[in-house]
Amino acid sequence: MKVLIVNNMAPFVWGGAEELAVHLQKNVIAAGHEAEVLRIPFQWEPASRIPSQMLMVRAFELMNVDHVIALKFPAYLIRHPRKTLWLLHQYRQAYDLFDAGQTNLPPGPAGEELRTLIRNADSESFAETRKIFTNSEVTRQRLQNYNGFDAEVLLPPINDAELFDGGQAGDYVFAGGRINDMKRQYLLLEALRHAPRNVKLLIAGPPDRPADGERLRALVEQLGLADRVRLDLRFLPRTTYAEYLNGAAAVAYLPFDEDSLGYVSMEAALAGKALITTTDSGGILSLVKHNETGWVAEPEAEALASVLAQACENPQRAAARGAAAKALWLSLGINWPQTVEKLLQ
Amino acid sequence: MKIALCSSFIPFLPSGARNIVEWLQAMLEKEGHQVERVYLPEVDAPDLLFQQMTAFRWIDLSAADRVICFRPQSHLIRHPHKILWFIHHLRVFYDLWDTPYRTYEDDLRHRGLRDALHQADTAALREARHVFTNSQVVSERLTHFNGIDSEVLYPPVIDAERFHSRGHNDEIVYVCRLEHHKRQHLLVEAMALTRTPVRLRLCGASISNTYPDALKQQVAAAGLQGRVMLENRWISEQEKVDVLADCLAAAYLPLDEDSYGYPSIEASHARKALLTTSDSGGVLELVRDGDNGIVAAPTPQSLAAAMDKLYTERQRTVAMGERAHARLDELNISWSHVLKRLLA
Repeated sequence: MKVLIVNNMAPFVWGGAEELAVHLQKNVIAAGHEAEVLRIPFQWEPASRIPSQMLMVRAFELMNVDHVIALKFPAYLIRHPRKTLWLLHQYRQAYDLFDAGQTNLPPGPAGEELRTLIRNADSESFAETRKIFTNSEVTRQRLQNYNGFDAEVLLPPINDAELFDGGQAGDYVFAGGRINDMKRQYLLLEALRHAPRNVKLLIAGPPDRPADGERLRALVEQLGLADRVRLDLRFLPRTTYAEYLNGAAAVAYLPFDEDSLGYVSMEAALAGKALITTTDSGGILSLVKHNETGWVAEPEAEALASVLAQACENPQRAAARGAAAKALWLSLGINWPQTVEKLLQ
Repeated sequence: MKIALCSSFIPFLPSGARNIVEWLQAMLEKEGHQVERVYLPEVDAPDLLFQQMTAFRWIDLSAADRVICFRPQSHLIRHPHKILWFIHHLRVFYDLWDTPYRTYEDDLRHRGLRDALHQADTAALREARHVFTNSQVVSERLTHFNGIDSEVLYPPVIDAERFHSRGHNDEIVYVCRLEHHKRQHLLVEAMALTRTPVRLRLCGASISNTYPDALKQQVAAAGLQGRVMLENRWISEQEKVDVLADCLAAAYLPLDEDSYGYPSIEASHARKALLTTSDSGGVLELVRDGDNGIVAAPTPQSLAAAMDKLYTERQRTVAMGERAHARLDELNISWSHVLKRLLA
């Protein structure tokens, strides 16, 4: 089948959605089809030009395409008799962000009119769609609440699963991913002060702002943890990131109330690493079962210190929990072959 | 500089029009520019044309410092610094109007559409800071139909040094999409009339199976299976290098094509003589009869005679191949020239 993946393009900007489209393309090809990505330029500022760009997408004609997988607004407005949506975003500023007063649509009747236009176009487009998937439960609920359309959650698989083959467990707990206050790497440092001296920590990833990195460096200094903590605060090559993860005794990820499982925890589970998180971390809790696939602590330093100690005191137990985490992850069936199969149904 | 390269495309159909864009992208990135490639779909049916042209007018590429537009109707994109490397018109509405390639009536409605298209094109062409074309033929059409001056900028091929010659077998090769206007069928007809054991190899994919199937039947009906090799697929770059390295000569004989075509440039880099026809358009800017190849009449008889000559007068064929290589420099077909002009 000739499968066209239709995505937005913010000219000269490359991000997670672009990466996802490329990996989807790769995996559709791996499933024995032809695949190309069509990227349609979209600028949401000024808001007054959103309608003409919606019409633009609507006016395009596709030939020589058997199946369309569309990802974002307004790219999913494209017309095709066999169109499946894998919805990453509606235009949130016409939906929940509009209600929250965080919108770029103008105030008053002009903004109301734009909002109605976007919602009507969305609903028309959803109605002509073969099947709608969303990338998270939150996106699914928004679609249900605002547009009244049912969808199935289809979590994005790990992009480069082959990198996370596990390996010899080292003597450190690894905390990877973006560094910021919501991800609470600082809490791990505070916990380390209360943990036995054999517990070591490797924190690696890009700080969102320079201050986020500074905060961690200052804490290490202040708490006298320099001999037990390694900070590698930068955007890591994927192979370096995977090396750190594959060599860990366990993996800690304690964001505050996230929607999704999180790539970090998915990758750790795939690599067979026991997971450490906190009771208020949100989506990741469907992967971390206390004393089964890892440890769930209260979000405060002493409770966290005790699970860090447990993770490091008995390598066999940590390995067993890691194996259980991997089994649980694999049982969810979140992999590219099954994802592609659903998107092509 | 932030540069957006804009073109139209048909999904899943490889073509020379993609090469000019993607090769330029590679060369610009090598020079340190930020490049965004914007491929937009377009279907050339008369009744769908204007709504798609409107869509092109609505594209917002203000994030780019300049845009370079290629295949139609990408020249309709609006940008304060728009450069065109115009590679062809929607030809059925222009020079191919009075040919069988027009599949709709020459009536009031379609003439109206045609005239409106000419006006819209001319207006969009006038917006450009500079108009380059890929051939003299296209430049002449721009003058004739739109009253627009332009500069010829011959498109080079990428990594040209990989093409080489390592001998001369008995094959004349035609590496090109299998399409009626590329006229592979003329060569098959000619093969039936040849008197030497010369062979023909046709390699290329097609938009549908219609033309490849017809070719296959034609080969079978003439009993030429042993001497005509038909490969209905897009061969790999390495296969192309190999085929050109070994062949006797290369054919490229589209009907009144806009440009000399990549097949003839690649064959020239591989030092092979070229076979074309007197009505092939832009190809004649490159190929001079008896110098770097043969320009035959577009008839099976004339082509058959030319193929026999390439086979029998082998030494002359080899010498014409050397001249084909020298001709590239004479026409200044190089990336350094292209970049200098496009970024001026």
